[in-house]
Amino acid sequence: MSPSNILTILIVIPLLGLIPLVVFWRSRRAAYQVAIVTTAVEFVASLVMLARFKVGEAGFQMVESAPWLPSFGIRYELGVDGISVLLVVMTTLLTLISVVYSSGGAIKERVSEFVAAFLLLEVGMVGVFLALDLFLFYIFFELMLIPMYLIIGIWGGQRRVYATLKFVLFTLAGSLLMLVGIIAVYIASGAPGDRTLSLPLLIERRASFALEFQVWVFLAFALAFGIKMPMVPVHTWLPDAHVEAPTAGSIILAGVLLKAGGYGFLRFALPLFPYGTQFWLPVLIFLSVVAIVYGAIVSAVQKDLKKLVAYSSVAHMGFVTLGIFVLDLQGGVGATLQMLNHGIVTGALFLLVGIQYEKTHRRLIADLGGLANRWPLYTVFFGVFTLASLGLPGLNGFVGEFLVLLGAFSFNPPTGPGGLFWGPVAAIGVILAAVYLLWMFQRVMFGTVREAYRALPDLSPLEVACAVPLLALTVVMGVFPQPFIAIIEPSVARVIALATGGAVAIR
Amino acid sequence: MSNVLAVMPEIVVTVVATLVLLVDTMLPRRAERGWLALLTVAGLLVALVSGPFVTVPGTAFNGFVQIDTFTTFSRVVFIVLAIFAVLVAPGYLARHDIPAGEYYAIVLFSTVGAMTIALSNDLITLFLGIELMSIPVYALAGMQRHDRYSNEAALKYFLLGAFSSSLLLYGFAWLYGVTGTTEFGPIAAAVARTGLADGPTLIALALVTAGLSFKAAVVPFHQWTPDAYDGAPTPATAFMSVAPKAAAFAAILRLMVGGLGPLGTDWGIAFAVLAAVTMTLGNVVALAQTNVKRMLAYSSVAHTGYILAAVAAYRAGDSAGAAVLFYVIAYGLMNLGAFACLLYFDIEGTRGATLMELNGFARQEPLGALTFAIFLISLTGIPPTVGFVAKVFVIQPVLDAGLTWLAVIIALNAVLAAFYYLRVVVHLYMHETDERSAPIISERMLNVSLGVSALAVVVLGVLPDGLYAWALQAAAPLVLR
Repeated sequence: MSPSNILTILIVIPLLGLIPLVVFWRSRRAAYQVAIVTTAVEFVASLVMLARFKVGEAGFQMVESAPWLPSFGIRYELGVDGISVLLVVMTTLLTLISVVYSSGGAIKERVSEFVAAFLLLEVGMVGVFLALDLFLFYIFFELMLIPMYLIIGIWGGQRRVYATLKFVLFTLAGSLLMLVGIIAVYIASGAPGDRTLSLPLLIERRASFALEFQVWVFLAFALAFGIKMPMVPVHTWLPDAHVEAPTAGSIILAGVLLKAGGYGFLRFALPLFPYGTQFWLPVLIFLSVVAIVYGAIVSAVQKDLKKLVAYSSVAHMGFVTLGIFVLDLQGGVGATLQMLNHGIVTGALFLLVGIQYEKTHRRLIADLGGLANRWPLYTVFFGVFTLASLGLPGLNGFVGEFLVLLGAFSFNPPTGPGGLFWGPVAAIGVILAAVYLLWMFQRVMFGTVREAYRALPDLSPLEVACAVPLLALTVVMGVFPQPFIAIIEPSVARVIALATGGAVAIR
Repeated sequence: MSNVLAVMPEIVVTVVATLVLLVDTMLPRRAERGWLALLTVAGLLVALVSGPFVTVPGTAFNGFVQIDTFTTFSRVVFIVLAIFAVLVAPGYLARHDIPAGEYYAIVLFSTVGAMTIALSNDLITLFLGIELMSIPVYALAGMQRHDRYSNEAALKYFLLGAFSSSLLLYGFAWLYGVTGTTEFGPIAAAVARTGLADGPTLIALALVTAGLSFKAAVVPFHQWTPDAYDGAPTPATAFMSVAPKAAAFAAILRLMVGGLGPLGTDWGIAFAVLAAVTMTLGNVVALAQTNVKRMLAYSSVAHTGYILAAVAAYRAGDSAGAAVLFYVIAYGLMNLGAFACLLYFDIEGTRGATLMELNGFARQEPLGALTFAIFLISLTGIPPTVGFVAKVFVIQPVLDAGLTWLAVIIALNAVLAAFYYLRVVVHLYMHETDERSAPIISERMLNVSLGVSALAVVVLGVLPDGLYAWALQAAAPLVLR
């Protein structure tokens, strides 16, 4: 394992984990041991990658490139920059936490299959953030699909089959049109024999993309990423999938899979199609703000705790797209931070909701209440993550949303309403978030506890161990955001410059 | 002598077929016939190897036969499909009391026909190949003599097949009348001179297109497909659904892209429309099926549409032909595999498997369910499987030829297809059996051949370059210049 191909190692480790898993297929304990060791090694490897990352550089680092499909001009090309490097670390951390939590008894049936699906899922997720060739990206993008389909469909709740098919069909509808878009880009990239899907090369050649072509291909990409995020009005798969998914599935779905959409916009759609971006900008800004306000309002009226957290994701992802499409450095950095924060905070919330459900077997908010009296430890964790989710200063959620709002206020389009309109509307979303989250917290935690829950235990050591790293990150990123911003900022600046047509050196 | 050498693989397969029949008659009535399958496979392997060693590129039999990279490629495709079809059959044949020797011989004769199509350089050779390929398959569909569905399948397939053959032959006659020759090269030269200027050429083109569309099961010439596939014995269905279709596309490539290439602007748009209709109708009707065998039958109609889309994109050059060839191989592997997976459910008193009968299979037979799921995911076109790469290779020439609307229709169809393919996975993995679980048929030869082909589906999905490069070479000689 030469350290020069650390990114390939990151992709290979989960695959290697499949070998001992198959050997000890029949043992549930062995399966979990394999899963924990593999995802832990993967997490450490991602930290090694982070340590080798040179802060302050905008371009791709640790690039690996080799011909893969030479007769089609496709390359196996990997690299990280400031946008992806932290997302990779977040992915490996959340995967580790999900596996550790599941080993505590949340998944007892068909454990080996579960672990296999999770390891394949990790390959897809890590690959999505590393791939620099569009074809490779697409493969990883789709590779995430089938394992999650199985995770929801096999280990999910009552309506799991409906939810998982809906999830897959929505995602596929978007991504297959993107595939047509990708192949169109491939054809537009040059004469036969000289075609490519390598991102750095495509950026060099993007001047040859006709304006009308950019409009349509951007739409195809936006559809795929918009469904994945999900943006309003194609978000309807999300609440179903989240409610039915097992806890580990929810954590990964909210924490990582949704990020693939926002990341795809920043990595591919914006730099490749500056005109397409400009063309669709008003629509996307409008939809983002709608998502923020609509997501908040719908969250407020949810009776189901898990569904509430799911709809709050719609609102949070609205901030991400708003930050991306104001095409402003602060907005872009804020959007990237918001993706990380949402992964950590909402991942943690799904973890805690899952723990609560395991104990009480109730998800309806009306059935809960008074838990604070019984579970002091749980309440502290839940409280901190709730506050982070609503954007309390000092916790990480605030930093991302604040930067996005700064970007939104300075948004100044040639036509149509500008930042002074969109900014305040989005800010209403922050207020609404405080309303529905605090109200939810009050109904779940305070009041009189039901008789049936009196004997239920507080968080177990394993559950605390799962939540503590997320809590630490929530606080650290809230109090000291600067190191994270320093990593993100140069790369976002480069993307914004490319998207607004400015001349920036490639690589 | 060079003539004989040129068609050596075809001769070998014919000899093996005869040998299998002879050995079969010499065996006592009740003897174990499983090893006849191995004899057949050995013979096919000899034919496979004999190809590159003996034959040299060029024409033979006074221009009736053309040996080029396309011929070599197609031979390998047909032989591999035949091997696969033979390996999954023995258990079923024994259970249902189907004469094994005849079954293998029929598969071999049909394979010879398919190979003959691939080496044809003349209308007469082409027709000979098409008939030699088709007639044994009619018999194959009716192998289960006492089963009325099997009889229905054979009769429908035979009547419509004979009808389409006569259409085709009539078209050939018109073509000869118009051009004064039966050889592809001179035909291409003649139609290049005249174009579609006169009525007779149009009639010839229409008849030929319709005839070949019947063979490939293009909508609206697909009506025989569901009943024939559904009624035939399952291993026969597996073979019928891939080899004749591959052969039909070999014929389309040789005759339409080759001989009638100069008229491409005329048949190209017709094929593009037919492709869109075919994939959409196949998928929509497949959505409504609850019997998996019938669902796969309709879905194979849809796949015809995808392949036809690549044919319609002939203007994109070699990449279109290569897309057809690559898709045919991918389709052959995954569709044969999917049908063969139904052999696990060949339970007494059931006709193929309904979705309900698949419930809980993943618990009973984890590896079998995994292979089935891999074939289904590949048929859906999700990476990292060969089905996905094949779709990419098809969409590329379609876009290159300017048929953006067709590419979008392909993408939307893949979503439709995802619904019914993944619904099968739902039943395999996500539903439990409520009653006591029915016994699952598990044979070593079936398991191994399914496992190997599922592995091939994944490996070719990750590393498709060698095959695609070869397909590009094979497509190069198709356009007659």
